[in-house]
Amino acid sequence: MTHSQVPDPELLDLAVPYALHALSDSERNALEGRLAAAGLAMADAFYDEVRAVRETMAVVSAASAEEPPVELRGRLLSAVANDNVRSLRPSKRRRTAWMSVAAALAVGLITVGIGVSLRPSAQAPSTAEQVFAASDVHTISGAIPAGGTATVVFSRNRNAGVLVMNDVPPPSPGTVYQMWLVGDSGPISAGTMDAKAVAPSTTAVLTELGSSKKLRFTVEPGSGSTQPTGQIIAELPLI
Amino acid sequence: MGSVVTQLLERPFDQRLDRAVTLPGNGTENEWVLRMTTVDLDTLLRRVAQRDPEAFAALYDATRSRVYGMVARVLRDRGYSEETTQDVYLQIWRTAESYDPASGSALAWLLTLAHRRAVDRVRAEQAASQRDSRYGATTLERPADHVSDAVIAGEERQRVTACLDGLTDLQRECIDLAYYQGMTYVQVSERLSANLATVKSRMRDGLRALRTCLGVG
Repeated sequence: MTHSQVPDPELLDLAVPYALHALSDSERNALEGRLAAAGLAMADAFYDEVRAVRETMAVVSAASAEEPPVELRGRLLSAVANDNVRSLRPSKRRRTAWMSVAAALAVGLITVGIGVSLRPSAQAPSTAEQVFAASDVHTISGAIPAGGTATVVFSRNRNAGVLVMNDVPPPSPGTVYQMWLVGDSGPISAGTMDAKAVAPSTTAVLTELGSSKKLRFTVEPGSGSTQPTGQIIAELPLI
Repeated sequence: MGSVVTQLLERPFDQRLDRAVTLPGNGTENEWVLRMTTVDLDTLLRRVAQRDPEAFAALYDATRSRVYGMVARVLRDRGYSEETTQDVYLQIWRTAESYDPASGSALAWLLTLAHRRAVDRVRAEQAASQRDSRYGATTLERPADHVSDAVIAGEERQRVTACLDGLTDLQRECIDLAYYQGMTYVQVSERLSANLATVKSRMRDGLRALRTCLGVG
């Protein structure tokens, strides 16, 4: 409209790549800096263009529409139905808070004793709660060949994750499942699960993710090992 | 309430949405439906911000095929797409209050958020796998190839596909590589051996042509 005096037309040319997320992080940061310096009129023109592109691509999404797997709906709805993190008062009933967040992941939560640090603190938000609230929360899930599924919701910023296992068959008598965070320096034990802990649904908090790249599950004799010795039953990439 | 509206209300919510977006604004009942549905998504999002699980379910049903379909087209992997879609909706649940109707439609907000996550994921996977064959030189596919017939009202899809077909090959390719393959415009110019200015102007011209063809504000 009144763009005849646009000082930096090149800047406006980047509105489309910006709106399509077609800039690298450093390009985007540099652009945002230039925009801030270019003044209000330029920023208005730029963001008008960005908005128009995004509205257009929203309409275009009809062309790629595809139904997601049906299970996703149930998982999401049970997640939000049990997520009352935001409505909690700061100091009360942290344990309930932790359980609600954990239940947010499991389709049905059964409280179990497992050899993983579950430490709902009286002062601070629980680890699970922090993971859920993190801006970089990610979900990875995979089928376990022997049956059932394992899902990890984790945040690198929080250095922690929440593991949910559903319908995993119990380990043979005399053995446990052991979880390992595998990084460049090798596997570090993240806890064990015995037959009581496994079925039908288990949650566990994983702390100190560090630079681990995978969560590995093995079968170990007795009450677990210091290094993995048994068969690997599953691995989830933590990326 | 007129008959068109009544019929629309009897449809599943996502079809109402698609139907409504399709309707031309001819100043009659249809335009009212368009507005009503737009308001609906806004309202749902506001209720989601109040932690209303029913509104969340309705919002999911109204948008899931668009969100998942777009994510799946970017990620080209069922498992990744499902995980990313789950992350997207959890993020919507947590951050719905940050949606500002003045800055655009609710649908554009959702899809922008979903596209950001899909692109982040595809770039992370590419970095991790050193561009293995899954994400490497995949032949470009047209959006229509991915469509499941039942999901979106046929006429809406046809209209969008016709508009995409109306682009020049280079315009379409630029948009495909950037939007659906998660490339930066610099990578697009490398892939197409075209200079940066050309890529930027083809993207811009392509988007303008689409916008005009689709009649987007």
